[in-house]
Amino acid sequence: MILRFEGVTYYYPGLNTPSLDGLELIVQPGESLLVAGASGSGKSTFCRASIGLIPHFHHGKLTGKVFVDGLDTTKYSVHELFCHAGLVFQNPDAQLFNQTVESEIVYGLESLGIESSEIERRLSWASRLANLDLLMNRSPHTLSGGEKQRVTLGAILTLRPQLLILDEPFTHLDPEASEMLRNILRSIRTEGITTIIVEHRLHEIIQDVDRIILFQRGRKAIEGPPRQVLSGDISHYGLNLPPLLRLLRDFGLETTVFDVEEAINELKIQKCLVPFYEYLIKRPPNSSSSHGGINPPVVELNDLRFNFDGDPVLYGIDLHLQRGESVALLGRNGAGKTTLIKHLNGLIKPQQGLVRIFGSDTKKTSVSELSRHVSMVWQNPNDQIFRSTVREEVLIGPKIFHSYDPLWCNELLNRFGLFPFMDRSPFSLSEGQKKRVSFASALSVKPELIILDEPTAGQDEPFRHELTSYLHSLREEGQTILFVTHDLEFAAEHANRWLILAGGKIIADGPPDRVMADTTAMAKAGLRPTQRFQLTRAMKDLMENRT
Amino acid sequence: MKRTTLDPRTKLILSFVAMVLLMISSHMAFLTMAWGTLCILVLVFRLRQVWFVFLKGLGVAVLTFFLIAWLAFDLQTGIISGLRLLTIGTVFFLFFQTTPPEHLSNGLLKMGFPYPFTFVLSASMQFVPVLIRRARNIRDAQRARGIPLEGTFKSIFYLHAFAGPLLIQAFRFADELAEAMEARGFGRPSRSYRKEPCFRWIDWAVTVGSMILFIAILSMKFLRT
Repeated sequence: MILRFEGVTYYYPGLNTPSLDGLELIVQPGESLLVAGASGSGKSTFCRASIGLIPHFHHGKLTGKVFVDGLDTTKYSVHELFCHAGLVFQNPDAQLFNQTVESEIVYGLESLGIESSEIERRLSWASRLANLDLLMNRSPHTLSGGEKQRVTLGAILTLRPQLLILDEPFTHLDPEASEMLRNILRSIRTEGITTIIVEHRLHEIIQDVDRIILFQRGRKAIEGPPRQVLSGDISHYGLNLPPLLRLLRDFGLETTVFDVEEAINELKIQKCLVPFYEYLIKRPPNSSSSHGGINPPVVELNDLRFNFDGDPVLYGIDLHLQRGESVALLGRNGAGKTTLIKHLNGLIKPQQGLVRIFGSDTKKTSVSELSRHVSMVWQNPNDQIFRSTVREEVLIGPKIFHSYDPLWCNELLNRFGLFPFMDRSPFSLSEGQKKRVSFASALSVKPELIILDEPTAGQDEPFRHELTSYLHSLREEGQTILFVTHDLEFAAEHANRWLILAGGKIIADGPPDRVMADTTAMAKAGLRPTQRFQLTRAMKDLMENRT
Repeated sequence: MKRTTLDPRTKLILSFVAMVLLMISSHMAFLTMAWGTLCILVLVFRLRQVWFVFLKGLGVAVLTFFLIAWLAFDLQTGIISGLRLLTIGTVFFLFFQTTPPEHLSNGLLKMGFPYPFTFVLSASMQFVPVLIRRARNIRDAQRARGIPLEGTFKSIFYLHAFAGPLLIQAFRFADELAEAMEARGFGRPSRSYRKEPCFRWIDWAVTVGSMILFIAILSMKFLRT
């Protein structure tokens, strides 16, 4: 066996609850394993213990034994273990510490004291496997999220570890980069390397793994082949079934399928093609419609252009958003989505063209004036937390604008479940709780337009569920919502209008189904329709062929 | 980054010699000639645009230096002081523009500096853009919720809204980085180097030439006095 946990219990320094609690686990060579669980279930701690960072780097209290490739991690240092087991961490930025991609990849080999000719051989092997040939002379910090992920993967692969562990590798990737990573992982498997992928978005990788282990409170809650594990209810482990499976379960079919073709075959066997098709048509994913129409637009962009270092980022954007709309802004990493949303509260002033928010020209209006009406919830809540208590953090906006409404703020704190933490330091909260604080803080000034930047990135199912209810109530109240996301399943559920940004232009604009049907625009932005849309399309074709 | 064929150690010696000579020289003619030579080097290495950006920052310091020396002494001293700062600044600009941090750290290693020291030196140069990007994100996040960080007097009272998250993120980043470095064998004994700096005949020639010039100018200056 390549990895063995024998009754491992681990407490981080200063904590009273264990992050791993009597964990027993065996991984066989060549296996592909998915480790899933809600935030705080011990997944990242498991990764650290698997390569010896626990107990050598994180001291804490460890009992039990971990064996990597037969080596007891308590007896061998990380230096000795790192060529047996490699870990690709969650944050690619903090793993890239060399000046070029090439030097990044060979760093581990230099640490091992390997001679130049062997370094060259391994460099060429790993760069082919991780598709890095064109990036070799680039600085790692100028790369996109997907490219950074591939570089960190290549840097580990050169060491030719028997075991490769990836901690939430899909979190910051756009759909195209995710697909590329999946292909690379398939190639790695053919090389006989054991892979452990830690991820809570099961649909990203479920088809490529042999076994799933679900973690709960530092323990192995359930394990088995994907079909066996997903045949039961996994919601009490803080996880959600892949969208296609959820759809079939909602219809009442207790079957386990992973792709559209399999679903159709299963529906044929169960003789419920027609009723299921009718069910799909009757229950669209997003039932709410726009509240706008005749009202003046909330956002008006006319021929907006923006260049960065001489390169066009936005190139003639024309866009109107109406009150009450819920809009998803989609596109590749680096397509200019963040640049576009920063124009909506004046953080970036238009170099050319016009931006009007609630009728005010952003060139003539200050950011603080605009922020009374437009609130942004950023991907990383740590960018804004600075007060000593949650109460102060949430109320900072109303204090600045002298617009404190105790009833509204109490309702917000209640809605986001923050009352128990009111006097706690926001720094001491979990990432999910911090995200709730940043939501409450953004809404405390009663904005009329809410902009969310990647609201689901890195968040587990319980938070996604909470987010769904927040967005639902905001839409009920007629708020205008714009969100940037790579999560098309989420976008299909919550937006009644999709915008696709590619090449500095909006290349598709309309209801989700119409945009997904525009295959040219979807391909140009590297997007794939949701599983529900693919299934509906496939079934429609089938029905038409029958008649 | 423009790379030269010279070994980083040669460039370090050259920069050191140039700095000492510029520091001790008070001759307008020498400083003007040095300035002219440096301008030619900037053009040869096609660094004109980056240099103009660099001069925007250095220009303020040069002007301040010139004004202080002029007011304290006389106009000539003011000009010499300003010119000296400008030439020394340009020497270091050329050094860092033509020497990647990794080459510099490899060169220092060869000179006997310990690996952790040279690594920290090159890494700190690399992570400046990362921290600048994070600082920009924090500033934008705070401004977007109405916190005045726009350079007004009021912004002084909200400086902690910017500095707090930045410090915490920097510490966390350092922690994550240390963990990732450990997992890639940082500090493991008997490390090898794929590309080791090599001291060739041209490096010897430039080093010996610059040392002769250095000694000659020093002798002329101090023997005459």
